[in-house]
This record gives sequence, C-alpha cells and structure tokens, in this order.
Amino acid sequence: MAGAPSPFAVALGPIELDFGALPESLFQQLMRHWLNERHAPDILPVQAEVLGALLDHIRRQTDSVQALRGDPDSSEAEHARIMLVQTEVERVKFVVRSYIRTRLYKAQKFSRYIAATPKVQEKLSQTELDHAKRFSQLTENHFRVSVLQALPPHQQGLDDNTPFTPPMISEPDKSRAVFVHARGECPPVRLPDGTTMQMKKGQIVLTPYAVVEQLLEMGNVELI
Amino acid sequence: MASAESRQFGNLATQLVQESRRSTLTDTLLKYNDSLVRTVIREQRNLENLINSAIAAQADNAAFTGDAPALLLYQTVVLRNKRCLLAYHAHRLDRLKDMYWALGGALPALLADNDLRSRLSPHEVDFLREYNASVMDFRGDFSAELDIAASITHPPRDLHALVRVVRDCGVIETELGTIDFKKGQRFMVRRADIEHLIVQGYLQEV
Repeated sequence: MAGAPSPFAVALGPIELDFGALPESLFQQLMRHWLNERHAPDILPVQAEVLGALLDHIRRQTDSVQALRGDPDSSEAEHARIMLVQTEVERVKFVVRSYIRTRLYKAQKFSRYIAATPKVQEKLSQTELDHAKRFSQLTENHFRVSVLQALPPHQQGLDDNTPFTPPMISEPDKSRAVFVHARGECPPVRLPDGTTMQMKKGQIVLTPYAVVEQLLEMGNVELI
Repeated sequence: MASAESRQFGNLATQLVQESRRSTLTDTLLKYNDSLVRTVIREQRNLENLINSAIAAQADNAAFTGDAPALLLYQTVVLRNKRCLLAYHAHRLDRLKDMYWALGGALPALLADNDLRSRLSPHEVDFLREYNASVMDFRGDFSAELDIAASITHPPRDLHALVRVVRDCGVIETELGTIDFKKGQRFMVRRADIEHLIVQGYLQEV
C-alpha cells in the first residue's frame, strides 16, 4: 500500500500462495471464477468459454467411461482408474453446478435491475438473460395480481422513487467489503477517500468491492 | 373508519412485516394472511380518499392551510404501507423459491404437500408453476452434461451410497439397469442416479 493507511483498505498480507508458473488448467480457472462469483456482491461477466470447454470435457469423459465399463476386456487396474475418473467427474460437476446456481441466484435477485439495464445484460449468457427477464416479469405480475391492482391507480407503480426509502429495484451493493488476493503485480487503484493503493503479488487486502471491480475483471486479483 | 380511529396508520402493515420476520426466524412459511392483506389495501383506499379531500380543501384558497401537513402524513403512510405489502409478498416468494430448490426443483412433490398447499394463496401456486417452467427451460440447456438442480450443499465424496427405501418410489432407471425400490429394501447405488430421491425423502442414506 502506498502512502498513509486508509480506512478503506485493510492490508492483511503478504501471503505467498504461489503455485509456481504452471498455466492454470480449465478446472482451476473455473474454481477461481466460481469463488469470485460466490464472493462478489455483483454478477460477474459469464465465463462462457471456460464453462463450455468444461461441459464438453465432462461429456467426453462420461462417454468414454461408459464405453470402457461396457468393454469386457477392461482390466482390474482400468476399473480402478474408471472409478477415479468418475469420482473426479462428479466433483467437477459439483463446482460447475454451484457456479451456475450462484449466477442464477444473482440473476433472480437483481432481475428487475438487469431487465432495465442493457449494460449489465452483456454480462449474462443468453439463457441466463432469458431467465432473468422472465423472472422479473413473473414477480411483477405476482405483485400486480396480489396487491397492486386492488390499489388506487396512482399507487400502482413499481418504480417509486421516494427519498429516505430504499429503491424499489434492488441493485448490487458494490460498497460491500471483500477479501482480495493479488495474483500478480497490480496497477494502482483509487480508494473512496482519494488515496491510491497498489497491490503487490500475493498481497491480501480487505476493501470495498467497487475498488477492485476493474482489477477483478482483468484477472489481476481474485476474491477469497 | 370507526375502527381505524383507535389505531395508528401503518400499524397493520407493520403486522404483515412482523409475520415475515417471524417466518424467517422460525424457518417456516406461515399461512397466507389474506384478511390482513385485504385490510391494509382497504386502508390504502381510505387514505386515498383522505388525500383527495385534503387536496380539494387546499384548492379553495391559495395559501397553505391546515390540511397541507396532513397531506404529507397521508402520503408517507400510503408509500410505507405499499412497501410493506410488497415486502410481505416478496418475502413469501423468496421462501417458496428456497423450498423449491431444497427439493431439487421437484414441483409436483412440493405441491403434493397438502399442508403446504393450504398455506399458499392461489396466485402463489400460479407463480410456482410459471417459475418452474422457466427453471425447466434453463435446466434443459445443460441436460446433456449435468442436472443443475441437484444439491450444491455438500461436494460428493463417494460415487456410491448405501440407501434404505423409506417410501415406495417405483421403478427407477440407474447405471446398473432399472431398480424397483420397495419400502424397507437396501441398495448400493450410484449417488448421482438417486440423489433426487434422497432429497425428496423416498430414500435415506444408511
């Protein structure tokens, strides 16, 4: 951290979590995006490529496992290996599922915000977007038939903007604090109080999400 | 309005929100409080009339009269009541969605529960049906690889599980061919094949 300590970033590191210079495997990438997604208050850009490649991989593995299991010539050692592969596939599926469900949860939670904000829609896959739009329709419709249609006409709006009341369309709270781990040297970022912070590789910092949003998108940091 | 005189504006709506709180704290879904919802809606209509007559009284002379502060009060209550009504309904939808996912997206199993069914409003049943349709479409996109509605609470440890049949669930397609699960029997089966049956309470892990 540069300059005087700021109340908007608590440095907790540095902790070396260096796994060497090995390139990240597909699964490691998904693990990282999964953890980011679970910790971020906002919905992150969808990792369509990683997800697609892993789904392909799951399908291929499952097919070859089926073929090998059906083959009478498979040896004892091969069967043991098949078991391992199957277990691994199940565990990968778990992470994939959790990743998809976390995103689905956020797509529903912020569905009205998503439906009203084209810029956020780019972060969702087509399927997610369809579901989010449909879900926002569904909830609005439920409110209408259960409550609003019985109220006098000008009490029926779903986008009242009243001072001192939370907005009717919930948006992600980007000021929420997150734990951030720098994966490499990071460019400096500006903290809410105007000071700057530059994270070194391996450093861990507790800071509002908005501060590291850009770094996260570029892949310089990960949430933990 | 005789009864409304004895209570403050907004008291009833607060009761609605308290019901939501109680529901969260006890982790139950209470019966849909149709009469309370209707009473609050009636209060809203009364307030609307009060507002209209206050505005009418105001229009007669240009200066602020005694009714202007009352207008502000009425308006504040109208907005607050409305938010409470919506919060009550939104909270119930959230709970219903949680229950839906806890059962692995098995809507028929959820709706077959008569006890639960009696606590829902007809609109909530409609909501669940349409929500299910949307989730099914979403799920269909991944059906070649995995079931996204399966459990995400515990990562899998073993491939197989020893299960006891608690309720007859008929013939099920598994990796080892079809199995007819009859009450009281035990099977060693692949977890992924029968996980939804554990979630829905047909099987129990031994």
